[in-house]
Amino acid sequence: MVGLKQVVAVVTAKPPRIPIPQIQQSTAPAVYILLAVVLVCAGLAAWLWIRRADSARARQGRSRQAAWCIALVVVAAMLATTLYSILRRHPIVCGPGELNCPKTGGISVPMWLLLLIPAAVLLVLAVKRHLAARIVPAALIVLGLLGFALVQRYGYDSGGALLQTGHGTGLIWYGLTGIPGVMVANTGAAGRLDQGSGAVILAQAYLFVLLGGWLGWRELRDHPVAARLLLGKMAPGEASGRPWGLLVLPLILALSVLSAWPWWSVPVLVIAVLVIRSWPRLAGQLAAAGMVAFGLLGLVAAQGWYLNSRGTFVVVPGSAAKLTESYPLYGLATVTSEASRFAAELEGVILIGLGCWLVPQTFPVVGRLLGLNHAVELTERVQRLTDSRADAVDTAAANLRRLERDLHDGAQARLVALGMSLRAAERLITVNPDAALALVAEAREASARALTELRELVRGVYPPVLADRGLPDALRALALDGPLHVETRIDLDGRLPGPVETACYFAVAELLTNAAKHSGARQARIDASHSAGRLRIEVTDFGLGGANPAAGSGLAGVEKRLATFDGIMAISSPAGGPTIVVLEVPCVLSSPKTSTC
Amino acid sequence: MRVVVAEDLYLLREGLVRLLEAHGFEIAGAVGDAPALLGALLAERPEVAIVDVRLPPTFTDDGLRAAIEARRAVPGLPVLVLSQYVEQLYARELLADNAGGVGYLLKDRVFNDDQFVDAIERVAAGGTVMDPAVVTKLLGRPARQEPLARLSGREREVLELMAEGRSNSAIAQRLFVTEKAVSKHSSSIFAKLDLAPSDDDNRRVLAVLAYLNG
Repeated sequence: MVGLKQVVAVVTAKPPRIPIPQIQQSTAPAVYILLAVVLVCAGLAAWLWIRRADSARARQGRSRQAAWCIALVVVAAMLATTLYSILRRHPIVCGPGELNCPKTGGISVPMWLLLLIPAAVLLVLAVKRHLAARIVPAALIVLGLLGFALVQRYGYDSGGALLQTGHGTGLIWYGLTGIPGVMVANTGAAGRLDQGSGAVILAQAYLFVLLGGWLGWRELRDHPVAARLLLGKMAPGEASGRPWGLLVLPLILALSVLSAWPWWSVPVLVIAVLVIRSWPRLAGQLAAAGMVAFGLLGLVAAQGWYLNSRGTFVVVPGSAAKLTESYPLYGLATVTSEASRFAAELEGVILIGLGCWLVPQTFPVVGRLLGLNHAVELTERVQRLTDSRADAVDTAAANLRRLERDLHDGAQARLVALGMSLRAAERLITVNPDAALALVAEAREASARALTELRELVRGVYPPVLADRGLPDALRALALDGPLHVETRIDLDGRLPGPVETACYFAVAELLTNAAKHSGARQARIDASHSAGRLRIEVTDFGLGGANPAAGSGLAGVEKRLATFDGIMAISSPAGGPTIVVLEVPCVLSSPKTSTC
Repeated sequence: MRVVVAEDLYLLREGLVRLLEAHGFEIAGAVGDAPALLGALLAERPEVAIVDVRLPPTFTDDGLRAAIEARRAVPGLPVLVLSQYVEQLYARELLADNAGGVGYLLKDRVFNDDQFVDAIERVAAGGTVMDPAVVTKLLGRPARQEPLARLSGREREVLELMAEGRSNSAIAQRLFVTEKAVSKHSSSIFAKLDLAPSDDDNRRVLAVLAYLNG
């Protein structure tokens, strides 16, 4: 026992139970009744206002706005009652050392200042209703921070000693609840929170901060400036990693509360926001690692506490429990008793569990090792599919528009001219046979030109040789058609899926056109083969090289076209040539079609 | 002259038949799909066949394949292939057997019936008729093969017209030179392409083939 005494510091004795006066318990129903009346009035006003909208669209808009306005009324009511109950107990003009403020009743902050809150709310409701959606999240965050401050002001110290004193008697009102435990001792010297009340306030505080943060994020992410600040230069594909990164913020908040708001909490928060903005992946990894670490910290801290044989809480010197010595607020638990130690341990275990679940999502390597990251892969694939589908739809729509325009300005116009020439010839045929003959000849010319145009059009939509023979011969035909001398080495027995053939045909056509236009090459080569479920086409030109896919839209277009089929394009184009473009598309090769005639 | 016509669109087939009959051809058969075409070609042995590339049953290049198959069974069977579009690839396949008696024209060429009938007659006589569209495409490419690169500009022009299936007199008319000059040019072409003096028609076919392969 002597040895234990040397190691263990007995901090202080358990505080005596303070009798709870019943004086102001009755104010709670009054506040609820008041709140209910305000809500009913606001709801009624909103309903009347929504009803007066003249269209369904306007009604929808007004319902949304009314919901935010009611939320604003509720939050403002909570903020006002909380501030009122705090200010009544802690007159701002009193110095920190003055336990009993000399001013009677302790009301030295002019309470009428609180009237500014309902006044501001009324002003917003009357003039700038759309601001409600912005104000509510901010007010929620302020309310949550007030809760943390409140708990710390009234919380136990490590030994369960009273931390702060107040005077007067009565309830403390926080958020939606009156906290009966926040009583001021009969002596008028000290007040404290009991265990349950502290947890209720803390739970509400975390809820308010997180809800406010989430609503604020939702509201601001579509705002151009705010989105740039929050999202930084993140590509759309990376956005899926962001929510995990945001978890860093509540973690830092909890650590700051645990450490009694040390000076570093503000710079760390700023750095965290910067990290989330610029390196969302890293932020997600930090969140996962931080959760595990914070959970372990809770377990270790809780281990540092124990009840000694005399029913006194003791702390092992130099243990992690030091952290919680003055402000034992671990997450939602205030560690001051055996039961709350268990609560802290439970919280730690839950956090470690969540962190472990998050690790494979944020560290793809771990996920791959464990075979767990299907979700990540699926998310990435969905993103890729969404992008390529949008491209495919755009391309298809653009092609249809081009087709319509070409038909309208080309063949259709020529057919109209043809009809007119024939009609004129009809009239002239008896009067002036020579002129009629000339017109008929002209009509024949026009029909030939219309045919030529239609032929070119068809070739652009779906090359006939591709329809007739499939990709191998279509590539050979392509090689023969262009101005370059193109050698072909094609090793494909069988037909590929139609859409893949078309995409590859146009891709190669584009590449050959590029080579002829820009590379200065006179010779080129097409190699095509199929192995291991992948079609591989290599287009080589022996020109100047230096092709840059970022410079022109042609190569990027080819890449997009192939992406629809999960295909890829790679370019090697050193200065001085040759330029090699490799296209690879996963696809199956069906058995060769046998001739039936 | 006995002709077999293969075309799947009824109106076009009837139109062709009427046009041919008006120019004194005898219609040995007018068919609408590839198997019937092959049967008619082997049974009737017409003096010339006029074949659409795209025919049933698969509506791809069935007509072309049937024509090539028939020429394998009956070497040199004159075939004039018509199509809505021309592919050099198909032109080469038709010419590949070096037997002559081959034509490959866009369908629009039917509009000018004199030229069309002229082309049929030349194919029937064992000549080679290529659509100007095929020849024009070749014009755009610089010659790579040594022998073709040796040809002079005028000789290339003559070779092009030869590929279109024109006779020496037609070429002379087109280039505003004498027929003698044309025959001088063509023997120079044959010499440069190392074509041994033999049957003139065959040499013309081989020259065109060399040109197309260039």
